Amino acid sequence: MTSDSAVITLEAVSKRYGSRTVVHDLSFTVDEGEIVGFLGPNGAGKTTTMRMIAGFTAASTGRVRVAGYDMATQNVEAARLIGYQPERPPLYDTLDVSAYLRFVARAKGVRRAAVPAELERVIAACHLEAVVRREIFKLSKGYRQRLGLAQALLGTPQVLLLDEPTAGLDPGQIQETREVIRAFGEHHAVLFSTHILAEVTLICRRVAIINHGRLLAIDSPSALRRAQEETHRVSLQVSGPSTEVRDALLSVKGVIAVDVHAMPDNAGLLAVDCRVEPRQGLEAAIARAVTHRWDLHRLERQEPTLENVFLQYVKTRPDGA
Amino acid sequence: MTGTLAVYQKELASYFRSPIAYYVVAVFLLGTGYFFLYNVFLTGETTMAATFQNMGILLVTLVPVISMRLFSAEFSAGTAELLLTLPLEPWQIVVAKYLGAVTILVLMTAATVVDLVPLYLFGTPETTTILAGYVGFVLLGMACLALGLFFSTLTHNQIVAALITAAVLLGLWFVGHLQSFQRSDALRGLFGYLSFAQHFTDFIQGLVRTEAVAFYLVVAAIALTLSAGYLQWRR
Repeated sequence: MTSDSAVITLEAVSKRYGSRTVVHDLSFTVDEGEIVGFLGPNGAGKTTTMRMIAGFTAASTGRVRVAGYDMATQNVEAARLIGYQPERPPLYDTLDVSAYLRFVARAKGVRRAAVPAELERVIAACHLEAVVRREIFKLSKGYRQRLGLAQALLGTPQVLLLDEPTAGLDPGQIQETREVIRAFGEHHAVLFSTHILAEVTLICRRVAIINHGRLLAIDSPSALRRAQEETHRVSLQVSGPSTEVRDALLSVKGVIAVDVHAMPDNAGLLAVDCRVEPRQGLEAAIARAVTHRWDLHRLERQEPTLENVFLQYVKTRPDGA
Repeated sequence: MTGTLAVYQKELASYFRSPIAYYVVAVFLLGTGYFFLYNVFLTGETTMAATFQNMGILLVTLVPVISMRLFSAEFSAGTAELLLTLPLEPWQIVVAKYLGAVTILVLMTAATVVDLVPLYLFGTPETTTILAGYVGFVLLGMACLALGLFFSTLTHNQIVAALITAAVLLGLWFVGHLQSFQRSDALRGLFGYLSFAQHFTDFIQGLVRTEAVAFYLVVAAIALTLSAGYLQWRR
């Protein structure tokens, strides 16, 4: 599971709170120059995993290493190399933006002389120029989120851990944030959690899917999509006898399985769900097989989006078995 | 060291950008002023002894207001995730926060020096006794703040932190009174030794005893060590 260029390494990591196990036996790596998306429903264990990598909490069993440092014993040394944006931006409401960033920079060990340039860099990267002198409690949610990202970028982090960095942002701000992540990820390691699946396909090289604290899959977004190709589906509504409709559809080349239900609110109309091979033009063949004998009311091709992939994994493997 | 200093400066900035420090200092100075006027002008004695005694109990009731936010507020606001993932050891964070609170204590103590002006104008007070009283007062405050800091590491709720601190500090202030109810010399000795008020009385009388100085410092050191240990353990 480990590789030479791995900056973040989790080896059989579990986290228990009393008798409740939040993360089970999690193993994966994030390499230098790689952006990994972390997908999972609420309560899946994403935040706990992020916290273990950031050193906020320690793993109950297993080992978390960041840049070679064991987070159980060397978390302070590793902290210099980690930029961490928690799910809730860690902001001191009574400070203004500039004082806050100056505090974080100094606390991360940035030399006093280098602080102004550092502040300028992250303020520009996160587009905070308009609010530099504003007190944090007066900031909008979007600015709070971006300030949370700005503090994570301070210093010289080799690793960026972002827990839902685009939550609460408008589309323009989301775009800007993605650009920051993409630019940083070119030379460093980034692990970020999100609910927006499109984001994962846009900027991640790999996606880790987690549910009930277990890793369900880790692969490239396109490979995950391929993994779901057998779930290409064509759904249709036909008025006709169910056995004959099923036989007619199964005789079409490329149709793997057919599921027929009578529609409860419309006697005589059937809802048909076909699992098909992933090739073009199949809809036309299906339509032809149906229309020369019965009335076709509706036909729809369902592409396997990452959302489907995610839901499919979560639905079919709820315990990660 | 840079990181510890940054946390210390952030603490001071947070105090003075929120109304809490102003409230505490104002209540303390108004209270001290009242007691001073009452004790000096009504009795005609040019000493600070009675005023120091009143300042002590006032301090015990105000310390929880200063200390309650030290860690509880960080936990409830989510800033603990930043603070505890900085390249700093837990003890460095504890010390920085503690020194921030002690700075507020020293500032409000220094502000009471204004009371000494009429004392020296209209009488001949014993300077060394007054100095001893101030030393004792700051040491008492340091012990109280350290205990308050420890209790604030235990809960996300500032009010709970303040209530526990107030209960414990008042208990330690008044525990000396239990001596009269004890037959056992050992228990009488123990209650007397634990009493914050009795050690403070020595200072008010002008006695800077090593035992009393060590008592307050050891209480503070134990509380701070427990705080750092707890922060490390809760990971």
